[in-house]
Amino acid sequence: MNAREALRAGAREICANKFRSALSFTAVSVGVASLLYTTAQTRGMQEALEKNLVLMGPGRMTVEKKRNYTSQGLSQGLTYGDALALRRELPDLFMVEPHSRTNVKIVAGRISVPQVSVSGTTPDFRLRDWVYKLRGRFLNEWDVAHRARVVVMVEPAIWIKKPFWAKFWGEDDPYAAFAKRRDLLGAQIRLEDSVFTVVGVLTPPPRDKDPRWDSWNTPNALVPITAYQQGLSRYEKNPDAVDEIRIDTGSERTLASRRQQIEAILKRRHRGELDFEIKDQREEIESELENMRKYVKAGLALGVVALLAGGIGIMNVTLATIFARVREIGIRRAIGASRADILAQFLLEAAMLGAAGGVAGVALGLGGIQWLSGLGGSRDLAQVTWLQCAEGVALAALVSAVFALMPAYQASRLDPVEALKAE
Amino acid sequence: MSSILVDGLTRTYPGGYQALKGVSFSVAQGEFVAVMGPSGCGKSTLLNILGLLDRPTGGRYRLEGAETARLGDAELTGLRRARIGFVFQAFNLLPRLSALENVALPMAYAGTGVPERRARARELLTRVGLGRKAENTPLQLSGGERQRVGIARALANKPALLLADEPTGNLDSKSSAEILALFKELNMEGMTVVLVTHDPAISAAAGRVLKIKDGALA
Repeated sequence: MNAREALRAGAREICANKFRSALSFTAVSVGVASLLYTTAQTRGMQEALEKNLVLMGPGRMTVEKKRNYTSQGLSQGLTYGDALALRRELPDLFMVEPHSRTNVKIVAGRISVPQVSVSGTTPDFRLRDWVYKLRGRFLNEWDVAHRARVVVMVEPAIWIKKPFWAKFWGEDDPYAAFAKRRDLLGAQIRLEDSVFTVVGVLTPPPRDKDPRWDSWNTPNALVPITAYQQGLSRYEKNPDAVDEIRIDTGSERTLASRRQQIEAILKRRHRGELDFEIKDQREEIESELENMRKYVKAGLALGVVALLAGGIGIMNVTLATIFARVREIGIRRAIGASRADILAQFLLEAAMLGAAGGVAGVALGLGGIQWLSGLGGSRDLAQVTWLQCAEGVALAALVSAVFALMPAYQASRLDPVEALKAE
Repeated sequence: MSSILVDGLTRTYPGGYQALKGVSFSVAQGEFVAVMGPSGCGKSTLLNILGLLDRPTGGRYRLEGAETARLGDAELTGLRRARIGFVFQAFNLLPRLSALENVALPMAYAGTGVPERRARARELLTRVGLGRKAENTPLQLSGGERQRVGIARALANKPALLLADEPTGNLDSKSSAEILALFKELNMEGMTVVLVTHDPAISAAAGRVLKIKDGALA
C-alpha cells in the first residue's frame, strides 16, 4: 500500500466521522495555537531586545540623582559641569549627554499649548537611540556654547494601526493636535517666557514600528542644555543642575571599568557625597524581560498541557475507532494485511487527525496574534515564520501518533478469527 | 502434488472445548472439495486453520509443501496473502470502498503498483460479470453481486487455493446457482477450491465431499 493511498484512506475515515474527528482535534489545535503564540512572543521579545541593544548602545549607563537622598551641603548635585568634567577626563567615552526635562507652556502665534515636554540636551543626543528623520538642522556645539535660543521640535508619532486604547487617549494630547496642523520649521515660538527659533523638526517612526525600548519618553521639543538652564530649569537654587547624564562607553567590555572611573570622578567632584547612582540600562531591560519570560513560560505550559490533553483525546478516538472497526481489521487481516499494515493504518489516521488539528491550531494562533495586535499587542504576524507553523503541525501529528501507538498496537494484535466474528 | 495435507489436526479452545479432534485428509491441486456437517461441528474452525487465520493446537498442516507450524505470524500473513483467497458468507467487503477498490485491496497489501492493480481489479470484475459496476459501493449492489465482488477479491493475488465459508448462505437460489457456476468455472481452470456448505446442491457439484461430525471426519 503506497503512501498516497494510505493518506486517502485515512482522510476518508476522518471525513466519515466528522464529529468524532472534530472533537478530538480541538484540544490539539488549542495546544498548537498556544505554543505558536508563545514562540512568537519569545521571538518578538528577542528581536525587540536585540534591536534595542543596538540602538541603545553597547556600553550604556545613566547617572541619576539618588532618590530620597538628603544633601549634607557639600555637593552641588548633578551638574552640567559634571558632564563636561567626564568628557574632559575620559575623552574616549562615546557619548556624554547631560539631560534635563520639564513641561512648559508653548505659544505659537495666538495659540498656546500647555504641558509640552521640553528637554535640554547636547548634540550627543544624536549618538544613541536615534530613530528620527530630521528636517532643518539639529542642535550643535555652537548652540550649546552660546546658549542659543533654538529649538528642535519632535512631531507626535503616528500609528500605522491604532490600538483601541489609543483611540480614547491619543486624541486628547493637545500638543499632538497642535503639531499636526502646522509646519513649525523656521517659526518663532515662545517656551514659557523666552522666544526660541525652530531650527529643525524630527519625525519619529510610527508608534507600532518604533524599535526603542522606551519610546513613550520621547520629548516634544529639544533645546540646548545651556539655554534650558537659563530659562526653563526647575532648579532655582542651582542653575547648573541637570536631571541626569546619559553615557555610552562605546563598548560592552569597558562598561564596568569606566563605571568605576566615572563614580570616582563624580565622587571627587561631589566632595565625597554619593548623591548620585549609576544605572545600567541593560540590567533594567533584563529584569523587565525576566518578568515577561514568566508569562511566556505560563503560555508554554498551557500549550503543552493542551497538547497532552489533545493527545489523550486522540488516543480515545483511536480506541473508539478501533472498537467500531474490529470487523474491518479482521477482513483486512484475512485478505493479506500484516500486523504492521494494521498498526501503520491506525497510526497514520491518528497522525492525520493530529496534523489537521495542528493546521486548525496554526490558523487559530495566527488569528489570535492578529487579533491581539489589533488590540495593541506587542507582536504581529511578521514574527511568525513558516518554519514555526510547520513545526506546530508536525508536533501535533507526532503527539497524536505517539498517543495512538498503544491502541493501534492492540488493534494489530487482534485475533483475525475473533475480529471477523464482530458485528 | 497435494495442495493441502493435514494429519491429526486438533484445535482445543482455552475453555477446554475441542473443536477438532484429529482430522486427517489431503486435497490435491485442482480439486473441488466440499466440507459438510451440522452447525458447530468444527467446519469453520477447519477452514480458518486451512486459511492460516488460526493455528491448530495439534497435528500437522502442510500447505503446498510448507510446514505451517514452523512459520511466524509475518510469514503466515505473507503466505495467506499470496496463496490463499477467502470468500465469506457475509461477503465482508469494506463498505466505504468501491467494488474496484475492494478487489484491489489485497494487491495493495502485496505491494502491486497502482496502475497494474486497477487494471487487474477491473479485469477480475469483468470476469465475474460486474465490469459496469466497478465504481459502485457494496451498498449499491445486490447480495449476489456482492459475493461476486468477494470472489473477485479472493482471486486478486492469483492464489493457488480458494477457501469459501458458506459462500451462498446469504443468497437466494438464483444467485446461489450463479455463484456455484462461477466456482465450478474457476475449478475447471485449475483452481483448488475448498468450500464449506450446508447446501446439498452445492456439495453435489463438488468432486469430493468431506463430512465432519463433532470435530472428526465422519
